[in-house]
Amino acid sequence: MQPRRPPPPIPGSGPWGPRPVAPLIALLLLLAPVVAAAESESAEHPGQPQDAGLQRRLLQQAARAALHFFNFRAGSPSALRVLAQVQKGRAWINPKEGYKVDVVFSTERYNPESLLQEGEEHLGKCSARVFFKNQKPRPAVNVTCTRFIEKKKRQQEDYLLYKQMKQLKNPLEIVSIPDNHGHIDPSLRPIWDLAFLGSSYVMWEMTTQFSRYYLVQLTSVRQWKTNDDTIDFDYTVLLHELSTQEIIPCRIHLVWYPGKPLKVKYHCQELQTPEEASGTEEGSAVAPTELSNF
Amino acid sequence: MQGIPGGGTRPGLSPMDRQMLLIFSFILAVALGQMNFTGDQVLRVLARDEKQLSLLRDLEVLKPQKVDFWRGPARPSLPVDMRVPFSELKDIKAYLESHGLTYSIMIKDIQVLLDEEREAMAKSRRLERSTSSFSYSAYHNLEEIYSWIDNFAMEHSDIVSKIHIGNSFENRPILVLKFSTGGSRHPAIWIDTGIHSREWITHATGIWTANKIVSDYGKDPILTDILKAMDIFIELVTNPDGFAFTHSMNRLWRKNKSIRPGTFCIGVDLNRNWKSGFGGNGSNSNPCSETYHGPFPQSEPEVAAIVKFITAHGDFKALISIHSYSQMLMYPYGRSLEPVSNQRELYNLAKDAVKALYEVHGTEYIFGSISTTLYVASGITVDWAYDSGIKYAFSFELRDTGHYGFLLPATQIIPTAEETWMAIRTVMEHTLTHAY
Repeated sequence: MQPRRPPPPIPGSGPWGPRPVAPLIALLLLLAPVVAAAESESAEHPGQPQDAGLQRRLLQQAARAALHFFNFRAGSPSALRVLAQVQKGRAWINPKEGYKVDVVFSTERYNPESLLQEGEEHLGKCSARVFFKNQKPRPAVNVTCTRFIEKKKRQQEDYLLYKQMKQLKNPLEIVSIPDNHGHIDPSLRPIWDLAFLGSSYVMWEMTTQFSRYYLVQLTSVRQWKTNDDTIDFDYTVLLHELSTQEIIPCRIHLVWYPGKPLKVKYHCQELQTPEEASGTEEGSAVAPTELSNF
Repeated sequence: MQGIPGGGTRPGLSPMDRQMLLIFSFILAVALGQMNFTGDQVLRVLARDEKQLSLLRDLEVLKPQKVDFWRGPARPSLPVDMRVPFSELKDIKAYLESHGLTYSIMIKDIQVLLDEEREAMAKSRRLERSTSSFSYSAYHNLEEIYSWIDNFAMEHSDIVSKIHIGNSFENRPILVLKFSTGGSRHPAIWIDTGIHSREWITHATGIWTANKIVSDYGKDPILTDILKAMDIFIELVTNPDGFAFTHSMNRLWRKNKSIRPGTFCIGVDLNRNWKSGFGGNGSNSNPCSETYHGPFPQSEPEVAAIVKFITAHGDFKALISIHSYSQMLMYPYGRSLEPVSNQRELYNLAKDAVKALYEVHGTEYIFGSISTTLYVASGITVDWAYDSGIKYAFSFELRDTGHYGFLLPATQIIPTAEETWMAIRTVMEHTLTHAY
């Protein structure tokens, strides 16, 4: 995925807004025992690069959680968005309760190969308030984004996608998308996008201030039923969690129809402890074809 | 698979050997006599008792030449394997079913298996005899890379040599390419790729880089100056066992393949096994974890080999360890937030390298220390390198930022390698002009 704009390289901190003014500082001091203000950090002052790095990470976590939630709530596999750049933000850390983060960020279309729609901005912009409850799942997210694609157009796109999905020959025979060399057959792209949509719900729920998830691969399709008013999709994906480097198999079952809210159920496999390990060659980080504890 | 007790027609050969022998003889037959085994199956029958066993023996009489026992009826506890020609399948299966003999299909279509075997054998003969037809824009497996290494060292023997620095846990050779313009031992630069086997873009980038060095020597004044004064060492497949495993069984395998008595999970994270803050935060003592640090520092042969080599050499000035993904260029420490003593210099060097990288294809990298940019990680390569006196120790995380992650499409290999090269070159140049 190539960035299309030519901004300067990003140092540890990134291009952010101006420093907070005095009244805001007073407000911040009132709100929490520890305040982490993440505003401009010029490249010429790497004096506190540690702080800048940590701040940047926290804002990125919040942006990601917000975007996963946004994608899920929009319920639109043709209009998925990914994080482009964090622009500014602020975080409040309350050791007893959690981390509250305000963040403004830009986004890009998930499918870079698809053509831009008429009137669609290439870069969308979102602002969000995210509350991470001391490593408990389901961060609370309040997010608004500029309208990238008009709702009506989005539904039309989704409906086209839905029709493509109905044409699919036999998705139950799918081995993996992408394949091990990163290739996705264009005809299978709709399945991948729908799988990503369902995974967004899972990734939103699981994101904390420390853990960050990426969708790696769709590894099996258990059920693919296209009715006149729904698509019933039961599948397994592999998620990659960055800080632990773990590969997590998740079984996801979603029901979708253009314009209707997405319904998702899922179960992700826990990390094996040495006692539970089965003693097979595969050890950890293998995608089972059957989730025995599902 | 157990060995053959009494009853085998070839004493001394395990059933596996016998099967292989049969397969090879089929191949020969096919090659010579164009026999076709399309649709033929191998059935495995489990006879419960002597009565059922004799039913199977009867089959041989009833259908002479039609059923070929690969593992003949011997005892009730042992499975019976029989090859059944396609034309006889219906009859034979009906016979088995009507007599209550349970069976499973071991080989669904023998011809398919034969074709695959034949292809594999032809392929190994076809393994490239030169590097000129090697595709730099495709992913390769271990045999292909090792073959390329041999050819490459031979073709450029004026400045390239291959060094065997040790063996992996599963006893695969660990190979390093040395680039040197001669002279008594020069100060050196180390580059490693593939320490985490699933990061395929790193091996591919390393191979392209090796070729770039020999291509540009004598043409690029900066590279030429570097090589006149310093040697470059590149270890392309730092985790050969893990890499082979990503091709055979599990594309997302990260660790090596070491096994220890008492632990059921396999493998140690080679980038947590170094002697620097070993066992600290950002590494895991659970052997089933992806960041398991191993029982003690340098416990893993893959790590020990490098430590031994670099220590014995004694004059490494820079070390670059290449990973994916995240698009980052980082320096120590990973184990803590404590800044290194030449932090400002490394910060500025990273900034320059990232700028040079960006100018190639517009790819954006972030940079900083490992602990502040990526996460806290203990027992890592660059921390050890820095603590051992190598002032310029850098870690790359190549493309992308999560869209494809480890499964980066091959079309991005060359662009990634081209931009990464500019960053590596910047680091090497700085090392040259800041001798210590």
